Amino acid sequence: MTSAVTPRALPLRRRLLWHCRNNPKRELWLAWGTLVVFYNVFFPVFFVVTRVQPPPQPAWDLATQVQWFHERHLGIPLGFGIIFAIAGMTAVNNALIAYSMRRMSVSRAFGYSYLLIYSLSAVPGLLLLCIALIVGTLRPQRDPRLIGWLYDFAFLSFDGTMGVFLIGSLIWMLAILLDKNRVFPKWFGYLNLCNALTEVVVSPCWIFRRGVLAWNGQIAWWLDMVVFGVYTVAFIVMLFRMIQREDFGTGPLPARVA
Amino acid sequence: MRAGGRTVGEAGGDAPFVPGQPDMWAFVLFETLVFTGYFGFYLFYRARSPALFLHAQSQLDVRIGVVNTLVLLLSSWSVARCVQSSRAGASRAALRDVAVTVFFAVIFLGCKVAEWSRLVRAGHGPDSDDFFTYYFFLTGIHFVHLLIGFVALGVIVYRLRGAEARSPESQELVETCATYWHTVDFLWVLIFALLYVIR
Repeated sequence: MTSAVTPRALPLRRRLLWHCRNNPKRELWLAWGTLVVFYNVFFPVFFVVTRVQPPPQPAWDLATQVQWFHERHLGIPLGFGIIFAIAGMTAVNNALIAYSMRRMSVSRAFGYSYLLIYSLSAVPGLLLLCIALIVGTLRPQRDPRLIGWLYDFAFLSFDGTMGVFLIGSLIWMLAILLDKNRVFPKWFGYLNLCNALTEVVVSPCWIFRRGVLAWNGQIAWWLDMVVFGVYTVAFIVMLFRMIQREDFGTGPLPARVA
Repeated sequence: MRAGGRTVGEAGGDAPFVPGQPDMWAFVLFETLVFTGYFGFYLFYRARSPALFLHAQSQLDVRIGVVNTLVLLLSSWSVARCVQSSRAGASRAALRDVAVTVFFAVIFLGCKVAEWSRLVRAGHGPDSDDFFTYYFFLTGIHFVHLLIGFVALGVIVYRLRGAEARSPESQELVETCATYWHTVDFLWVLIFALLYVIR
């Protein structure tokens, strides 16, 4: 799989071309790049284009909810149109994470479980939220009670998948802690536990309509989002380093590959 | 004395030594930061409604909180003894110390469930006011940490009963799990101080 030509001696464009044709890790880099592109689109769409995050108040009355949809009647269809176009990238992201578990010395059941659980949760956790909010903006003359139903449904379908993410994080954590191939450092396994514990904190949002534990609360949303942000950056960097070190063997990953 | 794959006291005892996996200390730091956030929000809301919080706090039985704290401190003592015994290669004594830790932890859980039941029967549910929201949240999330602690104790038992009970790897895992247990204890002491003591 290696070429006689030293890629570093080539100009940048030809070097890139060489990597596309010859680099044995090109599929892994493509998957990692897809992951980076997805998150770089995902966050701006939710926070800037559609402005559905940070989430609005769960305790608002129907008139305010209708007004909230009205203020986003352009941003929501535009932003979620982009999300529908790139939602399939989540499959590549999950596949790369599952690959990391297959590279470990643990059972393949870990990777497959993770892949399955995250693929299923993308439907209620991502797509249903987007569909419900687009339906809410599509016909502003709709009965406000129906708009209110869509409002609750959208945000609760998103929060309802936290249990799935919790189990997913625990699966990854367990795989990392049991692994003897040193694919990831153990602290990253423990960070998965931290992330899983913050998913637990979201569960009270089914009870509270105001305060720190409501779906927009300082603990249930803001603090969790900080932890999730740290976790996301950490796993993107960890996957990058894993690909750098990948030797396509079955034993321990080398510390660093030239 | 072997500890975490290293000899304590080597090089005149000057060599830096971290009990267990250093990675677990990263977890301790991160969880402490997350709980600092929880405590910060609690203190902020407490400062906004001091009268409400004071009145609600008076519904708590400080004696139960003290018992809980003592029981958990004793469990930390027994898990520390377990680490000592394990370092000395006395697996049987270490296993006995784990059993003592489990005993104290079960007492703690029993006390907590009894206290929750008493409060709910008295009409103080998680959504009755801001204080009880925090009370149930902080004690509840700590409860979850304690349940995970049982898994950590299970790992200690598994390693101590295994064929490689005296290996450096086993010793490191025993210390790592004990570190987790001490974290659960340490977090409870802070929760106890905030919810029961500070008035």
